[in-house]
Amino acid sequence: MRNRTRKAAFAGLAIASVGVLLAGCSAAPEEEEGGEAATSDFLPCMVSDTGGFDDRSFNQLGFEGLQDGAEAVGSEYTEVESTSDADYGPNIDNLIAQDCNLVVTVGFNLAAATVEGATANPDVNWSIIDDTADLDFDGATDAENIKPIVFDTAQAAFLAGYASASYSTSGIVGTYGGQNFPTVSVFMDGFAQGVDYHNEQNGTDVSVLGWDREAADGTFIGTFEAGTESLSAATNLIDQGADVIFPVGGPIYQSAGQAITDANAANPDAGIVLIGADADLFESDPTFEDLYFTSVLKGMKVAVAEVVEGAGNDEFDNTPYLGTLENEGVGIAPFHNYEDQVADTLQGELDEITASIISGDIVVESYLAE
Amino acid sequence: MSTVTQHNHPDTPENAAGTADVIALERAEIRSWKAPVAFAIFTVIGILLFIVIGRDGISTFRLSTGSDVIQLPTIPFPARATGVVIVILLAAITAWSFTLSRAAKATPLWAIAVFGFLFVVGFLVWASAGSTLPVAGLLIGTLGISVPLIFGALGGVISERVGVVNVAIEGQLLAGAFVSAVVASITQMPLLGLLAAMVAGMLVSFVLAAFSIRYLVDQVIVGVVLNVLVTGLTGFLFSQVLSANPTLLNSPPRLERINIPVLSEIPVLGPVLFRQTIIVYVMYFTIAAVYIGLFHTRWGLRLRSVGEHPQAADTVGINVTGTRFWNVSLAGAIAGFGGAYLTLGAVGAFNKEMTAGAGFIALAAVIFGRWDPIRATLAALLFGFATNLQNVLSIIGSPVPSEFMLMLPYIVTIVAVAGLVGRVRGPAAAGKPYIKS
Repeated sequence: MRNRTRKAAFAGLAIASVGVLLAGCSAAPEEEEGGEAATSDFLPCMVSDTGGFDDRSFNQLGFEGLQDGAEAVGSEYTEVESTSDADYGPNIDNLIAQDCNLVVTVGFNLAAATVEGATANPDVNWSIIDDTADLDFDGATDAENIKPIVFDTAQAAFLAGYASASYSTSGIVGTYGGQNFPTVSVFMDGFAQGVDYHNEQNGTDVSVLGWDREAADGTFIGTFEAGTESLSAATNLIDQGADVIFPVGGPIYQSAGQAITDANAANPDAGIVLIGADADLFESDPTFEDLYFTSVLKGMKVAVAEVVEGAGNDEFDNTPYLGTLENEGVGIAPFHNYEDQVADTLQGELDEITASIISGDIVVESYLAE
Repeated sequence: MSTVTQHNHPDTPENAAGTADVIALERAEIRSWKAPVAFAIFTVIGILLFIVIGRDGISTFRLSTGSDVIQLPTIPFPARATGVVIVILLAAITAWSFTLSRAAKATPLWAIAVFGFLFVVGFLVWASAGSTLPVAGLLIGTLGISVPLIFGALGGVISERVGVVNVAIEGQLLAGAFVSAVVASITQMPLLGLLAAMVAGMLVSFVLAAFSIRYLVDQVIVGVVLNVLVTGLTGFLFSQVLSANPTLLNSPPRLERINIPVLSEIPVLGPVLFRQTIIVYVMYFTIAAVYIGLFHTRWGLRLRSVGEHPQAADTVGINVTGTRFWNVSLAGAIAGFGGAYLTLGAVGAFNKEMTAGAGFIALAAVIFGRWDPIRATLAALLFGFATNLQNVLSIIGSPVPSEFMLMLPYIVTIVAVAGLVGRVRGPAAAGKPYIKS
């Protein structure tokens, strides 16, 4: 009797755990109605990486793009979150089983699963954000039915770096990332190039902490969670005199915001500011609205919406989408509260630089630039 | 390691006194070469790092923070010369340790500490050649990263000492972080959040206790399942509830830092130890309380007896089940309190899976610290130091690749566990359910 109670109770706990896990984080995809009744069999679907769709960053932006695209073509959509790297394959299989005909995968971590899925399901259209799905490095996408969506964020970060160098009174700006992935370091590298360009043009001597262009290496906290590691990384940068902090990697900016709040409270003249990555944080998370100098934007929402809309109208193609300053796939956010604290000429200079980057007069190096 | 049994020479005066003493005079000697060999390895690393690929330039140690009243001067170290001096000192300690081992004497603990300190200073000077190392900042960050680990480790020590293996520390930390954020956000009272964090950690412990003590389920498995349950539950609530209304539910006021008068002005240590939030002050108290409680009170004696030999404890009238249940709950409350540091003390808002494995590091600290609250605290601090060190060094431009630096905390922990601790023996009855027969 006792033994049976024990087993039953433990089974209950185990089932509850698994149930909650599934409900919370994976599977159980919600189907939601689009703006109007579904008009076709078209069903766009999306798989997140482990960040989840509420990361206030690239998963969330991608998902909003899916919603917008589905609404535009009047279809339903399905999304599924991954809680671990092991979920990618099964999640994709689940979506295929639900008759998805466009699968958008978010993040280069899903590249292998996407190529596998695309090869096995040639009649489904695929798109992957932040990766060229080129696992064999032959310069072409591995399956013909995959449309990569990539962003040359170095161009936008270049502008942010230039603006930071212009704002900094201490002559030191700092950046750090979650992990040394190309999609993370491309921000940091572009940022450093922008600072260098400012030094070249204006004879300033602003230095960048946290990224070493020659070594292609810098400060990484080893996680994409906003926790004590991110907090101490930002604090360490501030200790070294940085007055502009540019954290790259999903929610880690939240810890940086707290570190800056503390430092500004201790020394009100410091005027330390924060730069956001991916989305305009001033809009998406107003918690630190007094700290956001600007944000480096990655137009995932628009790009995904376009791909979804195109596929919904039977106009899917596999040409990679490359977001640049030219097609406004990347850019920087307004200065918002810092509008009147930047130099009067800064906006004009940024516009000129933007034009020069588009025309090719200024070359911003990145792993995506030819 | 070699065990040498030495028979005393037969013509010593003691032996002459009578044959009955001979047995008493047999001495088992343990000649351990672990310390000198480890020293030798690190000395060789030192020679390679500090001299062979030594770096030129001056490394400046900045001891004071900008807001200190007493400003200490910065200390400049010429990198290469300091490296040579330190390597000579390391070699001297190594040689001394070899002679000690040859004479079958143990290398004293302080020598290990001095060796470690010298090596760390040497490494810091080498890595920061040509730049300024903020020593105070390095230590402040160390404590910041260590706080949740220390609370988790203290919870682990209590729980395991009473005989229940606590793998659920991660879940307790996460539950504490989540509930404290929500409660503090709704009530706008961070102290209430702290209280709620303890209750949350305790609730997780109740499940652990109920299943492992009442239903005799394997404790490790319950712990693992609980971690998954709490991760899933908080993740689900975060996505579905907190994200919908972050201003009401997930914007807790943070605890203010309290500067302790006088103490906070002690050079170097003041800013590190005495300009902290109330959570950290409670932590100092908890470490002392757990240590004294475990080893110097009736409560601690009963607790340890239940963890070592529950049957004996039962025989003398200690309620084994009750002792285990309430102490496991206490352990959960402590760990939950530590979780509140992540939200109310550090980051502010709650984030999905924001503990990022801290509970498992705390578990390692328990074992590394040999189930002793003080040693476990030191182990947690060591991990925090290594983590923050890699961060500071990457900012000031260390020549070591970032991927390698990120491994540093784990390498340090493994080396420390394997090299310094060696074979450890936990509470004898930990992990074993007690069935009264």
